[in-house]
Amino acid sequence: MQPRIVVTGIGAVTPVGTGREEMWAALLAGRSGFSPVESFDTSRYPVHVGAEVRGFEPDRHLRRLAPGEVGRASQLAVAAGRLALADAGLDPDALDAERCGVAMGTTSGEPQIVERFDDRVAGDELDRVDGEFMDRYPSQLIAANLAAEIGFAGPVTMIPTACAAGNYAVAHAFDVLRAGRADLMLAGGADCFSRITYTGFARLGAIAPERCQPFDRDRQGMIPGEGAAVLVLETAERAAARGARVWAEIASYGLTCDAHHMTAAHPEGDGAARAMEEALAAGGLGPDDVSYVSAHGTGTPTNDRLEAAAVRRVFGERRVPVSSIKSMIGHTMGAASAIEAAVCALAVTDDRVPPTANFERPDPDCDLDCVPNEAREMPVEAAMNNAYAFGGNNASVIFRKWRP
Amino acid sequence: MSAAVAITGVGVVTPLGDALGALHEALCRGERAVSPIERFAADGLASALGAEIAGFDPARYLGEGRNYRPLDRNGRLTAAAAELALADGGWDEAGRARAAVGLVLGTMFGSVHTISEFDVRALKAGPNYVKPLDFANSVINAPAGQSAIWHGLRGVNTTIAGGPAAGLQALAYAADRIAAGRAETVLAGGSDELCFESFLGFARAGRTAGASGRQARPVPFDARRDGFALGEGATLLVLESAEGARRRGARILGALAGHGAAFDPSRRRDPASAARAVERAVLAALADAGLAAADLAFASLSADGSVDGDVAEARGVAAALGAAAYALPVTAVKSMLGEPLGAGGALQAAAALATFGDGRLPGIAGLEETDPEVPLGGVAAATREVRRGPALLTALDFDGNAFAVVLVPGEGPKG
Repeated sequence: MQPRIVVTGIGAVTPVGTGREEMWAALLAGRSGFSPVESFDTSRYPVHVGAEVRGFEPDRHLRRLAPGEVGRASQLAVAAGRLALADAGLDPDALDAERCGVAMGTTSGEPQIVERFDDRVAGDELDRVDGEFMDRYPSQLIAANLAAEIGFAGPVTMIPTACAAGNYAVAHAFDVLRAGRADLMLAGGADCFSRITYTGFARLGAIAPERCQPFDRDRQGMIPGEGAAVLVLETAERAAARGARVWAEIASYGLTCDAHHMTAAHPEGDGAARAMEEALAAGGLGPDDVSYVSAHGTGTPTNDRLEAAAVRRVFGERRVPVSSIKSMIGHTMGAASAIEAAVCALAVTDDRVPPTANFERPDPDCDLDCVPNEAREMPVEAAMNNAYAFGGNNASVIFRKWRP
Repeated sequence: MSAAVAITGVGVVTPLGDALGALHEALCRGERAVSPIERFAADGLASALGAEIAGFDPARYLGEGRNYRPLDRNGRLTAAAAELALADGGWDEAGRARAAVGLVLGTMFGSVHTISEFDVRALKAGPNYVKPLDFANSVINAPAGQSAIWHGLRGVNTTIAGGPAAGLQALAYAADRIAAGRAETVLAGGSDELCFESFLGFARAGRTAGASGRQARPVPFDARRDGFALGEGATLLVLESAEGARRRGARILGALAGHGAAFDPSRRRDPASAARAVERAVLAALADAGLAAADLAFASLSADGSVDGDVAEARGVAAALGAAAYALPVTAVKSMLGEPLGAGGALQAAAALATFGDGRLPGIAGLEETDPEVPLGGVAAATREVRRGPALLTALDFDGNAFAVVLVPGEGPKG
């Protein structure tokens, strides 16, 4: 029999709070993290709002690495990793490092490093390009820096499947543990605020001017954000042996590809629906077993409509509660589905689900119970985490209440 | 692994050709693709040696008269390799449409050229003047996503970020999915392009040959090596379950029997720790394949001329193999192909499959004096005959990530 895999630690750095408790309280309260962008000058842009992490102090989290030797995405990832291990009650130095690994996801890696290079190119200052570019930019460094900071020496993997990357990383860590290739994995995602990403979404007209309103008839788009979340995953047997608190069990996952368009979803949400169906089948579950769906829910007109169609294809007439925390923390890119994975793990423990904030007018094209504006207390036996990305990458991961 | 995974097709787009047979011949002749870079002006750079694919034309692989604008160079290289691999594996249009073929791609950058150009345009002309098509390709998973669109690959689509080790990691990821019954057929390998941005970055970081101002010598294991020559390309293998391959009567080139991973928490700052990561990855791969060091017929390392990396990798392999390290024939194809980053691991694998075919193992071209710090007896400049037996592939990445894969000729051991 394959080992069961559980979540025993949650760490996050988000625009609405750092650490599991602060983040969860903010999300349940419907608090938003939007404000004028400070990372770079937006005066030439048609939009100016973002979801940045304010007051982040890497010194408080980094012990082995110096903050100056790694990029901001790595700093966010390391902070989330340290918080997750503390939440799990683990002293990493007491673990068998060779049996502990890392799987992380990202959209852009360390974009602020390549942006510094681009400033040199644009300013005709190539002579000022130094070793920092290649020493700190490659995206794989997020996973490597996290492993190096903690001292882990097992399998380390970086999966840059854009805005679904957190789910891909969690799914991969799940497989690594089930195959017995490691005993404990840190899995999640990280992205820092990126001028490149902001520019691109602004050019596509996808950024909302003030706030993010998933599933609302008048939704105007997404709001780019930044953050990181890391989960501690281990076998249930190991968790039980050390008397660990378990937040959730990972039941299964599904990964599919639209093979349709780089930036637009399949017109019927086909890949998204197949990912949900694959996750259900792999876990031996039916749609009625899922109590709550954490939506990708970016707040763009197209995403939300197609996602609603995909959810209806899978869940039929049943109005399963579906909410999007991007209404509060914006779209944190590669971190998004990792933060949402944390939300799903907390929901099945807490029997509460966060709302879709800023919801005012229903959209007949998004006929969902989107848990408008107020968190809801309800039995949450299983929570499905959906994420979609550029490239047509779709990922659904199912978390369920831990029953030994 | 619970079951060996069959390899039934190979697609290579390299500076030494786009057919495995011709590539193998060139490697066995010791032909080196490393020469002065022509794609961009290298003014002010200490060195400008690279291994470029000259005159790459996607239409040659993907058809004339089609719209290639949505794909950047890495997207085109990847889509071309996918076409070659699928065709080589006997996957015709109808077969591809029926099967939800997956794609697992190792790449270091996607395209840092596309990313940087997009950003620079916004800086110079203003954010309203960037092209949406370029933004779509600015994500690291763009080559995999674009190739999935081009070929209708609806199965799992995962990009693994990394340099020299990413390709092996992609093969392992794909093989595990097949062994676990989660996929039937997966294209796996890697790709990266040679571009001004990455070249300048590596040169300024002192990693390319010639960066120190000395005579450039990007020769793996050579006593006077001084860094790598940046290469480029795409290589994809068709992986499928042995049972599925038999059922459709596919030609089986070899099988992936096992793999192992380990990380050096010093991120290669401590050479002994880096070697130890390689050693652990090799031991894990051998155990996974159910083989002993003495069973191996040859090894192919990721060594690319890097001063510290080559020795760390060799030491790790030697430590894992024990006495077998004295005689095991060893190659390093990057002596001929340069350092193609994400494409490297799969290129090592493709070359090993060719060695399974005719028993010839390419020598390490340009090797004059083996570094006495390299404790592998089978490092040689000359192409040799080797036994048609299990091959060990290893890679040590820039960040300390170590991977090993064991390939075996034929279908490999069952269950």
